Amino acid sequence: MKKKGEIGKKLGIILSVILTVFWLFPYIYVICCSFKPGSEVIAVPPSFFPKVFSVENFSDLLGRMDALKFLMNSLTVSLVSTVIALILGSLAAYAIQRSGAKLSIVLVVLVLCLKMIPTSSIVVPIYELICNLGLYDTKIALIIVYAAINMPFVMWTMLSFYEGIPTTLDEAAFVDGASSLQTFRKVILPICKPGLATAFIFTLFLAWNDFLVALLLTSTNAKTFTVGLAGFLSAYNLDLGPMCAGAFLFSFPVMIISLAAQKYIVQGMTAGAVKG
Amino acid sequence: MRLISRKTLLLFFLPGAVFMGAFLIYPIITMVFDSFYEIGITGDKTFIGLENYIHAFTAGGFLKQLKNTLIYIVVAVGIETVMGLLFALFFELDYKGSKIIRSFMMAPLMIAPLVAGLTWKLMMSSSFGIVNELLTRVGILSSSADILWLADEKWSLLACCIADIWLTTPFMMLMILAGLQGLDSSMIEAAKIDGANMLQQVFTIKLPVIKPVLLTALSVRIIDAARTFDIIWAMTEGGPNSSSETISIIIYKTLARYNNIGYASAMAVVFIAVLVIFTLVFMQSLWNPKKKSS
Repeated sequence: MKKKGEIGKKLGIILSVILTVFWLFPYIYVICCSFKPGSEVIAVPPSFFPKVFSVENFSDLLGRMDALKFLMNSLTVSLVSTVIALILGSLAAYAIQRSGAKLSIVLVVLVLCLKMIPTSSIVVPIYELICNLGLYDTKIALIIVYAAINMPFVMWTMLSFYEGIPTTLDEAAFVDGASSLQTFRKVILPICKPGLATAFIFTLFLAWNDFLVALLLTSTNAKTFTVGLAGFLSAYNLDLGPMCAGAFLFSFPVMIISLAAQKYIVQGMTAGAVKG
Repeated sequence: MRLISRKTLLLFFLPGAVFMGAFLIYPIITMVFDSFYEIGITGDKTFIGLENYIHAFTAGGFLKQLKNTLIYIVVAVGIETVMGLLFALFFELDYKGSKIIRSFMMAPLMIAPLVAGLTWKLMMSSSFGIVNELLTRVGILSSSADILWLADEKWSLLACCIADIWLTTPFMMLMILAGLQGLDSSMIEAAKIDGANMLQQVFTIKLPVIKPVLLTALSVRIIDAARTFDIIWAMTEGGPNSSSETISIIIYKTLARYNNIGYASAMAVVFIAVLVIFTLVFMQSLWNPKKKSS
């Protein structure tokens, strides 16, 4: 009987390895394509591995769009907006979680509903508002909009983290004469570092990966990389090589960070789900 | 002891509320108002009552997109759930290196939906796409032009679903794995001694244990699938002949291309209302704030 279990396990291992390779296939294919010469990407019939190793696609990419500037825009905008969302969101979530007032339940429900709103349907009023404020095509516009639309997510994640922290800590600080803000900053936040890390990484990716908001709110100056990449959509097949190079360049750091910070990502995905 | 007074609660919530008020709540209020008007390109408004709503629900409205959205949700989320469950059972195994394999499996999880869409668009191209090439080589297709994934009305929506399934099955797997961690291994041992086979173990022990997590994951995924935009936009832009057009896409097109703000607002209001009601109903059954505080 033990032997049967062993074989089953080996089979499971082999299957899971095969599955993983199969699942990564599309991504590996994009990487392979980005190192092919441009003409080979659209060769008929297609081949998987590059026949000739080439960085032509990358130089074409740089020639077609200001890739480095767009990358920098994406980075600046997502970093700054994430920091804002994190500070304000964690503060608000703390108050909601620790307050016993009826109002706090209303706010929790409100936050949850705001988290569910589809961006595609509210971007145009946002666009009008940004234009009225004279912020069209500025990084500030993207920063404040990302901070706003990602804030419910930060709050939701932090709520479940605060729940795991005993209120006796707050009470002790209160007895020692600390104000609510001091308790939050000096007692709660330091314990919540893993929670903050989770919310940070997630929100950063949400902003980094966003396409729709940036598509509507930017034209040249503040254009982010996703919008630049989507520019290849309307273009002809000849540009698919540089497109692959761009997709690779854009998502490679994300993959690396995902692998390195997997613990936090898993926590973020399952926050509120496992405990609730 | 009340740690946070009502005043402090409001004070702490206020800075965040300013942001969310301006860019989440204000747009919705604007849209509710706009939905009762016909708004010309120059911005002139005429009050037309419920006409935009009536238009949405009659022929030529968004019924087709509604159907597409439902198909998209059922196909994508359904397959993701089944595959996620199967994958979780494989990846649950502990062996030397299992963590690394699991990490790699989850690596595409955070890739931008836009990039996922572009990747699959490239792979599903009819002439130089690798998908049809492989299918031809295996013998499923006789020539690589047999299925025009993106240009055929029959396949376009399914093609978008495939990209979605690729991107989010790891998420489902992850959630289910997290749920399985709550499993008491002695239960499985006991079941084994009682002679339960693999299937019985899965259905009578594992599934009930992960049910809450599975339901939460499902609700998250249903809402995300309902509002998918980037993937479909990258792959087909809703075409051909609006065969892969979902509600998100039609709302965006009506706004940004046809400039019909009133009508788009009406559709968006209906869409948001449905999602919010779904969330509330779902959360009510799963999550009870009173139970938690006790």
